[in-house]
Amino acid sequence: MSSAQSTRTDSAAGGRRLWRRRTEATPLSWRAFRRSWQAYALLSPIFILLIVFVYYPPILGLVRAFFRWRPGVPATFVGLDNFVTYFTYAETPHELVNIVKLLVFGLFAGIVMPFIMAELIFFVRSAALKELYRLLVIIPMLVPGIVTVLLWQKLYDPYLGPINDMLRAMGLEHLALNWLGEHRIAIYAIMFVGFPWVWGVGTLIYLGGLGQISDSVYEAAALDGCTGVGRVLRIDIPLVLGQVRLLAILAIINAITAFQNILVLTDGGPGFSTMVPGLTMFHSAFRAQKFGYSSAIGLLLFIIAMSGTLIINRGIRPANEELRQ
Amino acid sequence: MTTELQRSPTRRPLQMSQLGLHLMIAFLLLLSLVPTVIMINLSFKNGLQYRWERWTLSLPLRGSNYLSAWDVIDAYMINTVLVAVVGLAGVLILSLIGGYVFARMRFPLREPLYYAIIALLMVPWVLSFIPAYMLYNNLGLLNTRWALIIPNVAGGPIFGIFLMRAFITGIPEELYESARCDGAGAWSLIWRITFPLSLPGLATLSVLNFVAEWNSFLWPLVTISDMSKQVISVGLFRLSRTTNDLVDFGSGGPLFAGYVLASIPLVILFIVLGKFYVEGLVESGIKM
Repeated sequence: MSSAQSTRTDSAAGGRRLWRRRTEATPLSWRAFRRSWQAYALLSPIFILLIVFVYYPPILGLVRAFFRWRPGVPATFVGLDNFVTYFTYAETPHELVNIVKLLVFGLFAGIVMPFIMAELIFFVRSAALKELYRLLVIIPMLVPGIVTVLLWQKLYDPYLGPINDMLRAMGLEHLALNWLGEHRIAIYAIMFVGFPWVWGVGTLIYLGGLGQISDSVYEAAALDGCTGVGRVLRIDIPLVLGQVRLLAILAIINAITAFQNILVLTDGGPGFSTMVPGLTMFHSAFRAQKFGYSSAIGLLLFIIAMSGTLIINRGIRPANEELRQ
Repeated sequence: MTTELQRSPTRRPLQMSQLGLHLMIAFLLLLSLVPTVIMINLSFKNGLQYRWERWTLSLPLRGSNYLSAWDVIDAYMINTVLVAVVGLAGVLILSLIGGYVFARMRFPLREPLYYAIIALLMVPWVLSFIPAYMLYNNLGLLNTRWALIIPNVAGGPIFGIFLMRAFITGIPEELYESARCDGAGAWSLIWRITFPLSLPGLATLSVLNFVAEWNSFLWPLVTISDMSKQVISVGLFRLSRTTNDLVDFGSGGPLFAGYVLASIPLVILFIVLGKFYVEGLVESGIKM
């Protein structure tokens, strides 16, 4: 073990000679490393797994985005070709428009709806009912994600689905559409999945933030006559900005990178009307075997998601910590 | 005394607004539950009931749908439990060890190493999905259960270490002091002291990790081609594609029964560890 440890320290100091000089100058650091061999030994399985299976793939993707890359064929460097191909592809503007639509909607559904639900529960006086509601919001999440999507596919079924059955029963035959099969409607039908979007995770995250607000803040507000909706706007929202930021980041990453629901519901159709870059990435890898091109799209999505995250991180600044418990 | 006096005049309107709150919460919860209720209702119908009485409760309830569903999805369910449990065991062990090392041991480069792990929480999966597939392809791991277990064991401890470090930091130092005086080494400090005291943290981690594994879809979809090794999400997806309600009336009910069965492990998990799940989510919102 100690020999493995010494090689590690070697490379950390950048070569054997440098390492020797350093140990002479600061004998403590070398001794500190040696004394801590146990910590490094305990961490080594974690780091071996991380390096091979977590650090390596994204770095490989970053590099191979500039290659023509297929399984079983040596990769060849093609410069920016993959990116040029994607940006000159006729459907790309359409895919980006879809992403913007999904993003705007995702921010609303992921930030606003859970906040409304959290506030409703937070205003409940009875502690027992509060606890009960906190548990009940989770129930829709006990159905596996794929089942929820497949169920919504059934709800949208033009012939056997309850949505159209209901519309027909109300005499609105002309509104009974093929929700997932019409060019103009399909993308909105995909967004509508999960209505009313009271997302348990988001609601609980907000409840955690609201619970942190100090009682003295509320007492002072009540004395000034600031209650109800006014309190929500002037006190609660500024004090849960940390949670808003977290959920905004999750919503942005999700809107830009997620394509599971689209893959299951429409697979990008009808035509190309519900295609998004993530799905193009998926298709080009697993149907067309273009792994380099696919990695390039993955890299683009990463850059977009990362910039969104940075903007949100700069743009939303949580309020003063002193007002929290 | 004074607060009581101030409150009493406003008590009645407040109770009305409380009633309004309960109604609104109930309304939103009911709307969220509509698909679940439809799923359970349809799971008890045979072909004719599915054709003519889709949206009402119709007797008799066809419980046998569940048997036919189980016959089709039993392998998927067992595979998913197997993969999720083996992976979870690895995640718990590595997170406990990592959490302990970063919370309790002092060594050079501790903070840089910790942030080298936590920074990975920021890398969206979209960047690694395609190259990871190629990596598993090159290692010959495609179409084996390792392709499902390894990503969890390697990636799960990222959040796990974050969670467990925070948890283990809260354990009183005196307990460790006295154990060290008795000559306990790092290994027994982890297993004799840290492990029993961090069970609530491990429970939270278990629920979050198991739910994520149970829901995983895209990765098994591309890495596992042999349906006998496939997991439940992909299994149900394929089933929904091969059964056609219009032609094959008998398949409607059992398919929905399969959906219900697929939810049962999560329901059991929630009944046993639901408190830790809720607390874990509430806590993570505060810490981030």
